[in-house]
Order: sequence, then C-alpha cells, then structure tokens
Amino acid sequence: MITATTPPAADPESRLRPRRYGIALAVAALVVLALVASSILNYVFLDTIPGRTSLYGLLAVASITLGTYILVRSFNRDRATRRNHLIRAGVLIGIGVLLWLLVIDVFLYTQSAGPGVAAICALACLPTTAFGLLVVRRMDRNHKEPWRLVLVAAAWGAIVATSLVVWGETVWELSAQRALVPGPGLDTSLAFMAGILEELAKGLAVLLLFLVMRNDFDDVVDGIVYGAAVGLGFNFMESVSYMTNIYSIFSPEGQGGIAAGIQWYGRQVLGLFFGHATYTAYIGAGVGIARQLPAMRQKVLAIVAGFIVAIAGHFSWDAWVNLFPIPNTLFGLVAIHLRTLIMTGPFTAGLIALLLFGIRYEGQNLLDQLRKEAATGQGAILPEEVPVLASPWRRLRQRLQALNSAGLRGYFKVSRLQTAQLDLAMERWHRERKEIDTPLEAEQRLRERVIELRHWVPAA
Amino acid sequence: MSASTYDQLRILYRTLLVFATVGAVILSVGIVQFVYFERPGQESGIRAHIAGVYQYDPASKKTIGPDRSEFPRSDLFAAVVDWASVPSPLVVDARWYDTFGSMRGEVGPAHSTELTSEGVIPVEVPEGFHFVLPGRYTFVVERIQDGVPVEVLARRFILVDRS
Repeated sequence: MITATTPPAADPESRLRPRRYGIALAVAALVVLALVASSILNYVFLDTIPGRTSLYGLLAVASITLGTYILVRSFNRDRATRRNHLIRAGVLIGIGVLLWLLVIDVFLYTQSAGPGVAAICALACLPTTAFGLLVVRRMDRNHKEPWRLVLVAAAWGAIVATSLVVWGETVWELSAQRALVPGPGLDTSLAFMAGILEELAKGLAVLLLFLVMRNDFDDVVDGIVYGAAVGLGFNFMESVSYMTNIYSIFSPEGQGGIAAGIQWYGRQVLGLFFGHATYTAYIGAGVGIARQLPAMRQKVLAIVAGFIVAIAGHFSWDAWVNLFPIPNTLFGLVAIHLRTLIMTGPFTAGLIALLLFGIRYEGQNLLDQLRKEAATGQGAILPEEVPVLASPWRRLRQRLQALNSAGLRGYFKVSRLQTAQLDLAMERWHRERKEIDTPLEAEQRLRERVIELRHWVPAA
Repeated sequence: MSASTYDQLRILYRTLLVFATVGAVILSVGIVQFVYFERPGQESGIRAHIAGVYQYDPASKKTIGPDRSEFPRSDLFAAVVDWASVPSPLVVDARWYDTFGSMRGEVGPAHSTELTSEGVIPVEVPEGFHFVLPGRYTFVVERIQDGVPVEVLARRFILVDRS
C-alpha cells in the first residue's frame, strides 16, 4: 500500500526500523540454520523417505531456485519495479520453504498410520481449527487483522514451529530417558522440555511478525490474536500427529478410531482455546504490550514476561495433569472437562482479562483519534460517523443496512470504507505516540483512500 | 502521550508482570519437584546386571531364544536380572515402562536377596488388550530409599514394532 521512497518519516530520528530488520534477519538466519540441521538429521537418521514426499521436495527445490533467481535479478532493476520482483521472490521462496517443511512433517507425523488415516485426521481437524481462527480474529473487535497475516501465523505454528521442536525434543527426551529415574522426576523434565522448546518455537513466529510486519501489529490485542493463531496452527499439526500415532497403536486392538476420536475431542474441542492457543497468546500479549512501551528495558521485560507465563502454563499442564486421574465411570466424562477447566482455565481467564482490557484501551484511543480526524475537517471522517465507527455493533448495523439496500456489494463497500477509516485512526494513534516509521505521506494516502471509497458509499 | 493512555498501558504491563511472577513461582515449584524425585548426590556407583531381554512364554513362565532389543507386538518378552550382582542391604525393584511412561510389570521393592526367585520379569499386556502396545519400552532396576526410587542401577531399552 505504501510505495513512496524518501518522504519525511513520522519520527525522523527513529532507528527502530534498521534495528528491527537486523534482529529479524538474525532470527530468520537462526531458524534457517535449525531447519538445515533438522534436514541433515532427517537424512542421516530417517533413511526411508516415502515416494510421495519426494514430489514436495522437488517442488520445494524448484520454488527456491526460481525465487532466488528473481531475487538476484531484482537488484538490477529500477526502484519502481524492484519492489514487485522482491515480493515475487519472497512468495516463491516462502512456498519452497513451506513445501520443504511439509516433506518433513508428512514424513514424521503421518507415516505411522498411512496417508489415508492422516488425511482423514487432518480433515477432521480443519473445521475446528478454522473455527478457532475465525473466533480469534473476531476477538479484535475494533480493528481486525488481515487474514493473510493470521493465516501466516497459523502456518508457522503448524509447519515451522513443529519442525523446529522435533529434534530438540528428541535429543532432550532421549538424554533424559538415559539419565533420569523413570517416574515423576522424568515426567517433570519432559514437561519442562515441552514448555520451553514448544513455546520458544511458537514465540519466534510472533516475534518475527512483530519485527517484520510492525505496521499490522498494533498493540496487545493484535499480539493475542497472532499468538493464538500460531497456537492454533501448532495444535492442528500436533492433533494430526497424535491422532495418527494413537490410531496406529490401537487399531490392531480394534480401537483405533475410538482412540483417535478421543484425541480429536480432547485437542480440537476441549483444548482448542485452552491449550496451545492460550499459551502462545500470552507471548503475543507480551510482544504487543512491548510494542507500545517507551523504554527498551520495559520492552524486553514485557516480552520475557509473556514467554514465562506461556512456558509456565504449558509446563503446569504437562507436569501435573496426572494429579487429576480420570475414573473409568460415567463421572469420567465430567472429570475430563473439569480437569481442563481447573488446570488451564485460570490461564485462559487471565488472558481474557488482558484481552478485554486491551480492547477497551484500544477502543478509547481509536475514538480519540476518530474525533481528532473529524475535527480537521478534511472529510475522511465526518463528525456524525465517529459514534458509528467507535462501536462494533453500530458498524455491523451500518453494514447490514447496506446489505438490505444494495446487497452483498453494498455490504463489502461499506466494510471497506469502515476498515480504511479505522486504519487511518490507528495510523494517527501510532504517529501521535511516535511508534511508527512509515512516512507522513502514508497517512495522507490513507485519507485519500477513504475519500475515494466514500464516493462509492453514501455517508451514514 | 496522555497520562490516562500511559496509565492504561502501565496497568496492562504490570498485570502481565504479576502473571509472570505467578508463572515463575509455578516453574520454581517444578524445579523443586524435579530435585525431590531426582535427588542430587545419590550416585552409589553400584551397577546391577541385566542378563538379557528374551521372548517369554507365559504358559511355562520361561524365556525363549536369544537376547534381543526388538520384538513384534504379538510377542511377549521378559527381562532377566542377575540379582546376585546387587549388594544385599539395598532395597531395590525392577520395572517395565511402556512408551507412554505407564508401568507394565514390576517386582519388588525388596532386598535383592529376597528377589532371587524372581529373576524373570515379564512385560504385562494392558488390561483388555490382546497385545503389548508398540513403541519404546524401558526396563530399569532401581534403588529405593524412603519408598522413592532414587537411582537407576541398570537400564535397557526395547523397541516393540507396530506390525
């Protein structure tokens, strides 16, 4: 959307941008190194790669080769077209990396029960995960995040984060099993392993989103949305993995389907929001709060605090879940739900408190900016529109009125106008707080876009 | 930045710090729990001798064939422990754990001299099942102190195939 090159920045002395990108590059380099190590270990220790995954592998190689070629060529082009070529290269390299990771994931997670069962398990988990993502995105009532970023976050959780933890957890688990006394000590060690490694892997996604897409990462609410999306993606792949594994273990006893179904219920219904989504949302909350804090020390502390809560929540479930044995009676059905509610419920309740407070905080500030923009008289936001834009319900009512009078086209036109107006208010908020590095021109372009959209939509 | 805005952000920040403090307490409890069950300074230097892991015939209660580390899930198997290798004053037990960490067979705890007649320790099929569960099994001979296993004197890993 913002293509200008050297207009004045909101904060001309800001050094955040180069520093952020530098950190993002360093994190990305670490991730690539870990993935390369993972692939070498796969090659050395997992010697029989099913033929079906070779297809993904070849596609991955082709995508990365083509992407790299376009990337190299793009630097010989003029500045006006370079950006488009860089985007193409980025998309191709991204697809290549995802396909390559899919090779590892398909091989590691679905081999146990066969591709048919794995496909059925994945299909069973898709609607629930999609529902989870829909709910999580809708939680941001004032200013919804773009679907592309929510899906990128979920894809990272499902593919990259799961791949990152495989070897770390394998090494930790094997070392612990060789060194520790089986029983509670070993169980505690493995709970620390899951909490630390899985939350770090998932948290990297949230951090990278923050570093690279900071203009779409506004505050604590956005952090919670992105964090929960990463958690839902991770939960999706983990559910498929556990379901296929359990199916293959219990199918010779004729109980494969039931065992996989219980796993599905526990992870995709009962634990959909209570497990990984809650834990990683805390990391997002920490990053989101850090995004708006003025001092570096506070920023670091907020991010570390988010990680600590996430790791502690994850650890407590894994370490102490057996303290609540499930009886083999009808009460067992109640006990399963009670256990989740008692053990993860407090963490989820704390997160909801942060979310509600964050929504209120964001809403008040957007209202303030909407009023200020209306007062400029530039026409992007009219004074009578302010109460409508400040209320999700009134915005919905306005869209529904457009639906009644002009059908779906009218609905989406009004929706686009509202989104552009809220984007403008958000941009103003960040600019006022000097926490944005897009040029001042960007704000004017948003204003022009609103006015352009208004030509298509009658004022409310 | 207005004072009210900063105050609200500060409330969010401080709330998160309170949550993190609770989190740190939870992790500390975890460390205490780990240290309680994995007590430092418990290395006695004593080693028990596992003669091997063999296919097991539940009818005759005898082992069959050579020492192996991998079995099909239709086979039962048992570990054979040379209890004479363990000094008599020690209280010990021997246990099988399946891939989920559930106990699948044990003898003891008792003084090693009392276990000489129980040198063959078979793995148990879970109740209601026809075969043992596949995966990685761990067999351990443990030293017990105050009713808690504190040291592994010997350990073997066995792989049970899925097919």
